Amino acid sequence: MTSVLTRRKFVQLSVASVALFSAGGRAATWFAPSLTYPSIKAGNVAKIEVGKPAYFNYPDNRAQAVLVKLGKPALGGVGKDRDLVAFSASCTHMGCGVQYKGERFVCPCHQSMFDPAKSGQVYQGLASEWLPQIPLRVQPNGDVVATAVEGLIWGRVKNV
Amino acid sequence: MALFERRDHLPLPPKGAKTYNTVCQYCNVGCGYKVYVWPVGEEGGPGKDQNAFGADFTNPQPPLVGLNYTETMHSVVQGRDGREYHVAIVPAQDSPINRGDYSIRGGTNALTTFSPTRGTQDRLRYPLLRLGDQFQAVTWQEALTLMGRVIKGIRDRDGNDDNLTVKCYDHGGSGQGFEDNYGAGKLFFDALSIRHIAIHNRPAYNSEVWGSRERGVHELNYDVSDARLADTVVLWGANPYETATVFYVEHILPNLKGATLGEKKAAFANGEPAEPGYLIVIDPRKTSSLTAAEVYAKDRVLHLAPRLGTDYILANAMARVVWERGYYDPDYLKARTDMTLFEDYKKKSLKLGTPYDAFMDEAETITGVPRAQIEQAAEWMAKPKGGGQKRRTLTIYEKGIIWNMKNYDQVAAVVQLAVLTHNIGRPGTGCGRQGGHQEGYVRPPAPTPGSIFNGGPPVNVDKLLTSGKGKFYWVIATDPYLSTPNSQFFRKRIHERTQKLTEALGRAGEPGTVQAWADKILQVLYEDPDALFMVVQDIYMTDTARDAHLILPAAAWGEANDTSINCNSRLLRLYEKFTDPPGEAKPDWEIFKWVGMRLAELYRADGRREEAAKFEFGKDWKTDEDVFLAGSQEFKDNAVSEADEATLEAENYKGVTYSFLKEVGQQGIRTPVRRDPATGKLVGTLRRYTHRFGSSDGKFKWYGTDDWEGYPPEVDKYLKGEAPERYPFWVTTGRAQTIWQTAYHDRNLPEKTLALPLPYVEVNPEDARRLGLAGGDLVEVYNEEGNGTFMVYVTDAVQPGMLFLVMYHWRGTSNSLTSGYTDPKTTIPWYKGTRAALRKVAGALPSLHQTASTLQQNRFE
Ligand code: SF4
Ligand code: FES
Repeated sequence: MTSVLTRRKFVQLSVASVALFSAGGRAATWFAPSLTYPSIKAGNVAKIEVGKPAYFNYPDNRAQAVLVKLGKPALGGVGKDRDLVAFSASCTHMGCGVQYKGERFVCPCHQSMFDPAKSGQVYQGLASEWLPQIPLRVQPNGDVVATAVEGLIWGRVKNV
Repeated sequence: MALFERRDHLPLPPKGAKTYNTVCQYCNVGCGYKVYVWPVGEEGGPGKDQNAFGADFTNPQPPLVGLNYTETMHSVVQGRDGREYHVAIVPAQDSPINRGDYSIRGGTNALTTFSPTRGTQDRLRYPLLRLGDQFQAVTWQEALTLMGRVIKGIRDRDGNDDNLTVKCYDHGGSGQGFEDNYGAGKLFFDALSIRHIAIHNRPAYNSEVWGSRERGVHELNYDVSDARLADTVVLWGANPYETATVFYVEHILPNLKGATLGEKKAAFANGEPAEPGYLIVIDPRKTSSLTAAEVYAKDRVLHLAPRLGTDYILANAMARVVWERGYYDPDYLKARTDMTLFEDYKKKSLKLGTPYDAFMDEAETITGVPRAQIEQAAEWMAKPKGGGQKRRTLTIYEKGIIWNMKNYDQVAAVVQLAVLTHNIGRPGTGCGRQGGHQEGYVRPPAPTPGSIFNGGPPVNVDKLLTSGKGKFYWVIATDPYLSTPNSQFFRKRIHERTQKLTEALGRAGEPGTVQAWADKILQVLYEDPDALFMVVQDIYMTDTARDAHLILPAAAWGEANDTSINCNSRLLRLYEKFTDPPGEAKPDWEIFKWVGMRLAELYRADGRREEAAKFEFGKDWKTDEDVFLAGSQEFKDNAVSEADEATLEAENYKGVTYSFLKEVGQQGIRTPVRRDPATGKLVGTLRRYTHRFGSSDGKFKWYGTDDWEGYPPEVDKYLKGEAPERYPFWVTTGRAQTIWQTAYHDRNLPEKTLALPLPYVEVNPEDARRLGLAGGDLVEVYNEEGNGTFMVYVTDAVQPGMLFLVMYHWRGTSNSLTSGYTDPKTTIPWYKGTRAALRKVAGALPSLHQTASTLQQNRFE
């Protein structure tokens, strides 16, 4: 489903979807993933340690994402312990970079806290939307690949 | 794996989208918002000049300073013209209150718009009439006739309005404002004379802060800038990180971080020292406001955790320290306060007859707060700064003081401490409420009494109803089945009483005409004195509505123009209408108007013209603004000098019009508004009581508080004999940032319901270990008043031996367990203190555990 897109193809795709949407005259819902996302390697299962976040850029190099191994099963977790999850690292409140601090993400700006085991749920703080989760796929060689973003990355009106 | 539908693309409002100014519908802070409405099918472009935001989305917005436009800030509504419209509701960057910031509550404003295809489809659209065990749609025509006939039938028969009981808000925000309050006031106090009326969150018609008002201090007296300028901020029974969120993170925390030093230097007198702010949190819990502040300024944060109910003793002890150490200005006290009454304060509150050490020992014993901490708090509040300059302390209190035992004395003690230290009326000072919701009170004088010192206390309408009195109960925009104290008993009795009428009406077949309905209702109400007719007027089918006989659909926020003030600055703004109410729903003021008009018709038909005329109060009210302007006539002439602002009502807005408010937009105007005698222009009041207090002679009226008398019988019963073993926990209650009030909107939002599926109880780790409890376990918390099933959060926010219950959750309200105690001086309940037992429930609900987070809150490090 997902593939690495060239810039040109990306532009064509987005034009097509706008046209479709306008012609229908009804509200497009744009339930994520409604866009075509690149597949990008976020890490390798052999190298990721429990509790050590790995930051990577996704879906483009202006967006930071974070991959963590929680050491306990998580919603949407991959790997043999189903504990590997990735999220957009931009706080959904006002866009600061969230920090992984043992089991949770904490935003240094106004202390919103997100639970990575529960789909990035805001369990305290100001953010009114959960952290966008990045569905992952594990390749036979152990590479963990980011495949989409479920939720709008703060500061954008379109993820890609 | 998303647990609910997420979006990865949002439409931008095109240039030319309809744009409105408004204010958040939720909390006291009153953050500004902008609303954009445009037809589906149109879309703006990402360039700065291609969209109505005027924001550049060709690149990601910059963190903190960029425009916030998130998934929860967009929705689609169905217009009455059959077209779909996009609605975007984003925090206003030009608001002096939030400066573009927002909270988890206000961030979802857009999702609360009515749509037939989202959770808000549950909105009430038509009047509903109970037929046995069903509700059926009726027209307004019929609903109003039924209301009119029953109300008139009761008052004609009784010769007074005492069997007519009402529960109605008195505030702004949440879709109410000056307009709705005035409509209510005209109907209930001018046309009718309702004495048995209670305010939305309490069982009587009273101020929650008579202890302050009767001193000459209205509870909203500071400005948002004072939170930035204060040397010390005191949060007393107030937890703004949860309940006044943006005020806390945009104004108080920056002060602690030192980010407002420049403002301090500019505002302070020459040579006056300025440093990053200090914070004193007085609360039985380690609140998130405390722990969030500790992230930035651990050595400038002090936590005092008094035993439940003992805050006024603590306030008096701090005042005694101030007295002993001379942290007060005798000239100020002489010039501005009533020195005759001061003697009483010295005797009863400061207890100058008791030696200092003995007094402090006693205070420590009662409050459980170490003497050293009491002294340190007094220093941080009042010890003069270098050069002998007075310290600037802003004291913000809220429900921990108000909904404490002995409401009157608690509030009075806190305010007196502030006045003793001249911490009011100067930049960086003030002593007032944080507030819950926004405000917007304007009504004719109520026929209800004041505190015990002013003809009261007022009648406890809950108790009146549960004791079997009253025949008609009109519940407006509040859900007492969740929100009233001792609510389990209240629910049981109201159900029993309304059911008596329901059954009697059904017994001989339901009547077929409105006239026959009304006659039959009246007949039953007078045959069976326990029978009760209940009307619920609201935006949703509330918990209380399930026992109603008639349900009236009201308009919500954004569905009518309204006006309110916020609590941190008394900032008056216009909340513009941007969408239509669903179905036949109407703004409250209009419902009150039409009930009045129908009563007028019925009286005219009886030939009682004079009576009829009283009920035609709304006949010239065509628009929201007509009501706003009519309300302003209740206020005093406001052509007074700045020094005389204290003589005005706190909400006086005489002279303000909608067009004035449109012009000032998010800048608003601070009440009390004055018409400046020199210029003839309308001016706001930044901060109150700089020149005089709001008493008849302008002097502060001291009050000698009561001695410590232990706990009232309703709670003391849990402390006698073996009861402490059976009910081993102290219980306190409060709110969480996530949900607003009874969560009437939030319960439709997956972001909220997945995170908070059940009410929760905070248990200290020590207690949890002893009882074998883990986060996410289900427990029953119970006492002799009631019980509820709560999800466990293990946290050191509560001390060992204490539980904290979140209030008002729709799956079980903490108020089932609270006692029926009210302060004998004011009839204000003690929602925040009782005792209970806790047992682990057998089995589990694994799906809840799987989806709801139980990570420890308040731990930010
Ligand atoms: S802090 Fe209060 S007013 Fe501001 S957005 Fe949140 S709920 Fe609304
Ligand atoms: S930006 Fe993360 S909490 Fe505000």
